[in-house]
Amino acid sequence: MNLDELKKLKEKAQRHVALREGNKKYRVVVSMGTSGIAAGARDVMTTMLDEIEKRGIDDVEVTITGEIGLVDAEPVVRIEEANGEKTTYANVNSEGARQIVSQHLETGKKVETLAVGKVKEA
Amino acid sequence: MMDELSMHVLDIAMNSLAAGAHRVEIAVVESQRHDFLILRVRDNGRGMDAATLARVLDRRTTSKLSRKKNIGLGLAMLRQTCEMCDGHFHMRSVPGSGTSVTASMRLGHVDRPPVGDLNSTILALCATNEKVDVQLKYRTDKETFQFSSQELHQQEGTKP
Repeated sequence: MNLDELKKLKEKAQRHVALREGNKKYRVVVSMGTSGIAAGARDVMTTMLDEIEKRGIDDVEVTITGEIGLVDAEPVVRIEEANGEKTTYANVNSEGARQIVSQHLETGKKVETLAVGKVKEA
Repeated sequence: MMDELSMHVLDIAMNSLAAGAHRVEIAVVESQRHDFLILRVRDNGRGMDAATLARVLDRRTTSKLSRKKNIGLGLAMLRQTCEMCDGHFHMRSVPGSGTSVTASMRLGHVDRPPVGDLNSTILALCATNEKVDVQLKYRTDKETFQFSSQELHQQEGTKP
């Protein structure tokens, strides 16, 4: 770890705060419990944030949650849509994270190969 | 296992958020001169009583009663890393006012994991809840760096 890296933190956090304002079409929830972190959830999340920023997508909110019980499928990413529809993606790596952003979040087309289940909210 | 100490920090800080903390203070002190590394996560969450605190390092202890799987290893893994690297692990908690976890290790120990990407850890924590003030203090022999997510919101002009 070096200080020069840390100095970029403020700037980066600032951009992500700005990203959170306004009404969002999608809410991305990354499972960040012990098992998720150990499986690489943190890097999945930062990859998604970077990709969302790079593509200029502004109707997405990214957040994290604790252990969700899918320990053997981590890293797990859940996409919640404004209409209540939820899609859960399992065993997501950086490549998968980029795919989810470029397909699901940008074009609305689900990444079938990574999805484990869809729940329609009542 | 966690490859980086910053992942442990994220893991411990997630406990703070689960405990309803409004403020999470993370301190990383790295001294080449005295050959030590200290990580501390302090929160103002709901805290634990002495009995819970004594149990918390056992395998399988988790505050989530619904879980039957073998989880609840986060703190135990960090303690193991500390002990492996000639350091100490210490927890203090007061019910109703917060918990503090301090982990130290010898900086030059051959088994000491790298601190790693602290930026990502802080960014992830900031993403959970904008009402929580996530603070980082990073100190070396020569320099100090400070960060507070609440300051950021004030600069942005949004409500803290």
